[in-house]
Amino acid sequence: MTAISAVAVLFIVAFILKDALPFFRLRGVAEFFGSLRWYPSGEPAEFGALALFVGSGLVTLGAIVVAVPLGVAASLCLSDVLPFTLRQIVKPIIEVLAAIPSVAYGFFALVVFAPLLQRQGGHLLSVASWVIGLPLLALVVLVASDLFAARWPERARVPVRLLAFVVLGACSVWGLMQLGRACEQIEIPSGTNALNVSIILGIMALPTIVSVSEDALQAVGRELREGSYALGATRAETLTKVIIPAARSGIFAGVILGIMRALGETMVVWMASGNAAKIPSPWYDLTQPVRTLTATIAGDMGEAEQVTGAARYHVLFALALCLLIFALLANLASEWIVRRARARLKGS
Amino acid sequence: MQLGTRKALDKAFSGLGIVSILLLVTALVVILGPIFVRGSRAFVFRGTVEYRRLMFEKYHRGRQESLESEMAEAARARQPVYDMIAAFEEELKGMSFAQRRRWRDSLDELKDLLRRLLGPFPGRKRPVVIREQYGETRWDRAQVTVHDVLFVESYDYSDATKMGTLVYAPRVEEFRGTSIEPLFSYVETHAREMLRPRRTFYWRFLFDESLDAHMFGGIWPEMLGTIYLAVGAMLFAVPLGVISAMYLAEYAGEGRAVSLLRTFISTLAGVPSIVFGLFGLAFFINTVHVSSSKSVLAGSLTLAVLILPTIIRASEEAIRAVPNTYREAALSLGASRLRTTLTVVLPAALPGVLTGIVISMGRAAGETAPIIFTAAVSVGRPLKVWQTLTQPTPALPWNICNLATEHAAQEEIVHVQYGMVLTLILVVLFLNVVAVALRARLSKKLKG
Repeated sequence: MTAISAVAVLFIVAFILKDALPFFRLRGVAEFFGSLRWYPSGEPAEFGALALFVGSGLVTLGAIVVAVPLGVAASLCLSDVLPFTLRQIVKPIIEVLAAIPSVAYGFFALVVFAPLLQRQGGHLLSVASWVIGLPLLALVVLVASDLFAARWPERARVPVRLLAFVVLGACSVWGLMQLGRACEQIEIPSGTNALNVSIILGIMALPTIVSVSEDALQAVGRELREGSYALGATRAETLTKVIIPAARSGIFAGVILGIMRALGETMVVWMASGNAAKIPSPWYDLTQPVRTLTATIAGDMGEAEQVTGAARYHVLFALALCLLIFALLANLASEWIVRRARARLKGS
Repeated sequence: MQLGTRKALDKAFSGLGIVSILLLVTALVVILGPIFVRGSRAFVFRGTVEYRRLMFEKYHRGRQESLESEMAEAARARQPVYDMIAAFEEELKGMSFAQRRRWRDSLDELKDLLRRLLGPFPGRKRPVVIREQYGETRWDRAQVTVHDVLFVESYDYSDATKMGTLVYAPRVEEFRGTSIEPLFSYVETHAREMLRPRRTFYWRFLFDESLDAHMFGGIWPEMLGTIYLAVGAMLFAVPLGVISAMYLAEYAGEGRAVSLLRTFISTLAGVPSIVFGLFGLAFFINTVHVSSSKSVLAGSLTLAVLILPTIIRASEEAIRAVPNTYREAALSLGASRLRTTLTVVLPAALPGVLTGIVISMGRAAGETAPIIFTAAVSVGRPLKVWQTLTQPTPALPWNICNLATEHAAQEEIVHVQYGMVLTLILVVLFLNVVAVALRARLSKKLKG
């Protein structure tokens, strides 16, 4: 019986492959991976999927930028900072985030978030830059002023540090204000774009990253923590210098799984990414619409189903094959990382 | 580094973590908030007399006498509107051709809007399309229509450097100096009497079929389709998954083949859901021919493959968590290994196994991508059980997507869209709560 479930994987690979190969036989590989022109129902049809790969990559990258710092910080907070009772409250919240069906996220992105982004986009961005920038810069300024003060003779340190703190702080607040004003100027022509999707995908990938990396952090064990505290390290130092390096591979595995969640997600990108098969110019401009692999499969199958057998139909399987290969590689990579880490922990 | 700085850094670091948790919670509130608030309006809203007429005529609900007296009251309030229009049409007849043409279009537009607000004019033939047979059934929509009656939407292009800005001009200006002029202030002040809004609790939203492509009625076909798909997926996945887990936990050793099996199963968990959809289409429909085209059966099978790894993993963990003393006690009493597993280990692991099953049921109910090509259609009637073998069905996740992207009258069905999303989320969250309760019971039991 177990064999059946394992064979299911082989079946999936086999059947996707079976329907994908005719496409490569019909059209070759060069156009698929090399061309930007995606006109599957044109006359003559063109199947350049490069823009789709870039679109998928772009929204996944955006999702990573949102999810990884937030997810890792949240998992650190969950495993080492929050008291037990609070943790019991926060964990279900993360489980709820994971349980919400993807179509509900897609609906939110399309019906609530997209119009908001279109009307108030600049304002929203500037608020976001404040929320993210302020605590980060505060940290940086604190460290920098301290390092600066350490070079002065003992007696001058306190006033110098204060001075450096005030000067650097003022500079960074000014910088933030400039950034906020610049963001305020940005006009977003359409709410269904890569930025919208990136944020929503980031939120969707969060629970995966948080739960896997929290498990990894918990697995590090008390001894290492106690040893570090015994040497006089603060909690922040223990976490950054001892616990995170020890749990690195687990966190990395979580990030890979989160990336797969974002890359394989269909409904959100289909509903809210704008579905324009072109590379944004410049490529990092997230406020432009993109089209991803998954959304193309979901969107084009309705028309392609009538022409079973044509390149039009098989190209979607070729796209699915690429997704499948990504998934296999990501899974193997994360498994390999976890296994290696386990072996290392056992060995030490 | 100074001690003070180190301490401050430590605090700041914790602060950063707490900020991230707060952001997480905010994200959840921001996403669920609008869905809960607006979704609840599908169930609780102010229904107008038109709503009660619809309910009586299409679903045979409500009392005839009270409805008739209410309709009479409403008709009395509406009569001045119709009188004013008739008077204005009389006035038009006396005008020259050129003047008449000037008014004709504006009047037709006004009459259209009034028809939308109040239903067909009295004495006219009953329209065929259901949405034209009734006025606004919901008071919130009625208020929008009243606003449309009172104001004309136009764009102001006077500032050439910017996009045109939306301005509302009072419609009454178009009719200044004619006999219809007082109609506008009358509609504004008497909308309530004409439509008689009353707080309504429409719990049958879940159990009614929709009328006229979701303009009226509920979401029962979608609900039923989702239930069929989720339960069907369970029927295939649970036996297969639990037996696999039993094998992996109780019989399999640590060999190469077994570790390969595990790799396969965890790979299955990572495959994007849209790929499952294509697989279902290529395998279950085009190769095995479980049905000639989309069907609930094919969708259930596809979903079953999708949730198999979740069930296996959860069940295996639960079975492994059963203390070894249980097994040893059973074996020492002379029970065979199979008997031990079935009568001792499995019952002890049951809450954990059930938790996994319930969670994956929620997953199956909420997945959209796998059923697009294998089971879902946009419009359909609720199916009988035996029809599930051959026929496709509407399902909540797919219809949410469909209504949000393709429906012709987006604005008028906003409450249905949100109501559907709310229902789906509540179903999934309910299943998750059940799972958490089961898990809590399990941990209590294991502690003794």
